[in-house]
Amino acid sequence: MKRSLLLSLAAVGAVAYPLAAIAADPIRVGYPMILSGPGALFGEPSLKGAQMYVDEVNAKGGVLGRKIELISRDTRGSADEAVRVTRDLILRDDVQFIVGTLTSAEGPAVSPIARENQIVFIAPITKTDQLTAPANLHPYVFRTASTTTIEGRSAAEIVAKWNVKRIGTISPDYAYGQDATKAFIEHLKKIKPDVEIVDQQWPKLGEADYTPFINAQMGKKPEAVFSSLWGGHFVTFAKQAVPLGYFKALNHNFVGAGEAGSIESAKAMGPDYPVGIWSNTYDLFDWPAGPPAHKAYIDRLKAYTKQEYPSSWPITGYISMQFLVEAIRKAGSVESDKVSKALLGLSIDTPIGKQTIRAKDHQANRGQFWGKMKMDPKYPFAVMENVTYIDPAPFMD
Amino acid sequence: MKRIPWTLVVFAVAFFVPWLGSRFYTFIATDVAILALFALSLNLLLGYTGLVSFGHAAYFGIGAYTSAIMMKTLGLPFWLAWPAAGLAGGLFALVFGFFCVRLTKIYFAMLTLAFAQIVWAVCFKWNDVTGGEQGMPNVPYPSLGWMAAIPGLDGFRVGDRFYLLTLTLVAIAVAALRRIVASPFGRILTLIRENPERAEFIGIDVRRYQLAAFSIAGIFAGLAGSLFGIFNRGVFPDFAYWTKSAEVLIMTILGGMGHFWGPAVGAAALTILNLQITAYTEYWPLILGSILILLLFAFPGGLVGTTVDLARRLRGGTRGNGGRDARRP
Repeated sequence: MKRSLLLSLAAVGAVAYPLAAIAADPIRVGYPMILSGPGALFGEPSLKGAQMYVDEVNAKGGVLGRKIELISRDTRGSADEAVRVTRDLILRDDVQFIVGTLTSAEGPAVSPIARENQIVFIAPITKTDQLTAPANLHPYVFRTASTTTIEGRSAAEIVAKWNVKRIGTISPDYAYGQDATKAFIEHLKKIKPDVEIVDQQWPKLGEADYTPFINAQMGKKPEAVFSSLWGGHFVTFAKQAVPLGYFKALNHNFVGAGEAGSIESAKAMGPDYPVGIWSNTYDLFDWPAGPPAHKAYIDRLKAYTKQEYPSSWPITGYISMQFLVEAIRKAGSVESDKVSKALLGLSIDTPIGKQTIRAKDHQANRGQFWGKMKMDPKYPFAVMENVTYIDPAPFMD
Repeated sequence: MKRIPWTLVVFAVAFFVPWLGSRFYTFIATDVAILALFALSLNLLLGYTGLVSFGHAAYFGIGAYTSAIMMKTLGLPFWLAWPAAGLAGGLFALVFGFFCVRLTKIYFAMLTLAFAQIVWAVCFKWNDVTGGEQGMPNVPYPSLGWMAAIPGLDGFRVGDRFYLLTLTLVAIAVAALRRIVASPFGRILTLIRENPERAEFIGIDVRRYQLAAFSIAGIFAGLAGSLFGIFNRGVFPDFAYWTKSAEVLIMTILGGMGHFWGPAVGAAALTILNLQITAYTEYWPLILGSILILLLFAFPGGLVGTTVDLARRLRGGTRGNGGRDARRP
């Protein structure tokens, strides 16, 4: 029995230790993010971008004379785990702000935790409209990511310019896929009333065999297809679709939302990429029409990550941290209520141009880069041509 | 030698955790209390009846969803939702168990896993009711305003109050479990574990008793799930996923299934380990796996089994029997 007492003492000691180790000085920001499993392909670079911005700010002396400390934690891609690590960050690491979460399940799950603890929470990647829908909005939740509405409508604008009438969709069967597809169809029907939705495929998220869906869709003979298969899911899908002649049958009238055009997806497919399709990305290392600030950012990113062709996801972390730091500066305080007020209507100059968080729904005007994918002999993977940054302002309501 | 009522001491000490003033301690204590109940409910099958269930999370998930749907979607109070969660867990365990107990050993285990995966798939796909992959965030806390009327509790935050409620309910549930395993019914379960053939020879309907144990375990898992859904501020399909079943199995074995309190200690150990490791490294599965291997080798009877055995040896009274407690399978 003595031993069990010792054990329990040891357990209590193990818990108490990190509490004592916390120094009061820096401003602590928690960054729950997917850092293991397939989602880490996007989560890791996002954290890198956030860390790079923090290092830049700290090198200049921090904000309000205090340094920033970023504390990351792995959400493992599950909402349940995201909630757990976020509460752990708040309760144990005593973070004053939360920036992070990736999937459309994680973001809305963490949001109530932020409200309860009265801690400002900025979502850099989560796109589902539900995160900032009126029923779920509260003073502490903000989003610097794009939304399913913006993304779906941007894609609809592209498809509307094509000479097609028979439209199909293929999207993962969960919040993000459903919301993006809904936004796409509603907007397309509004701006081009004569289109007809001839087929909708809903593979489950993480589907391994897309062949039945591809065949079923080809059977309905759509002239153009909208997809919101993201990340590795798009890669798996496209690898199976190319040999079946799917993209050829569509005449490459395919628009892949969910960052199918990001360098990560392009690199993963190499020469097998179905060139000729349209897609989007959060960032690209070669943006000919971009502002000088973007070129400077890419150069810094190259040096920071030691990558020849830097990833497109660091920008998500970079901009969200930038918003937080600028809000702290504007508020002149790290108190949640003051920072939360400072974020309303805050405009900042980011590497991709001016970004503003609207007061009415706490949403940044975050658009994305859209373009047609092509092979360029300069690179071993597909890149975007005729890149356009679609300003989301007209599509946000 | 006079026996110290350790159980009471632990609960009494645990009751004062909120007075430490750290939200974090209350947080861990709530987590441990709920998971301890979950692990103890599994041990009714594993340690007492000798049934290895790989799908115990199903009933935890069913309880969590039942109470979340009642409290969030239907706006019903907690005192209705909590018993309903236990009832739902028990009912589903009764239905699934009816089929499972027809099989033995690994086939039984596989069937429990299959049913659990069905439950998970339903939670995952039934968007209108369960919220699908997104789960149901923001489950409301029970109304605990009445606690303010109790002197000494008026200054407490809702998290602390919920902890006190949880601890009380868990204590009641665990006391009930304890009564069950100590009853003649519990003895018959042990007999079935030790020798099902002989049990049948003396006229015991083994399957019926196994089914009863399975349902009772389902009830307590459901009750734990309900509390966890509220504590976690949302319920998610992961609650019913096989990894959750594996987690509770590890807790039970780590703590020691040969002792009533083993799984509770295992729950505390695994929760604290998990919390510590994920805070320091992203290679958590590697570290956790290594520690578990070490613990399982160093403590073959689980943490509690080995400790009790050691204590006996040190005392020199009753001779140790290699961690082979009478109740050990």
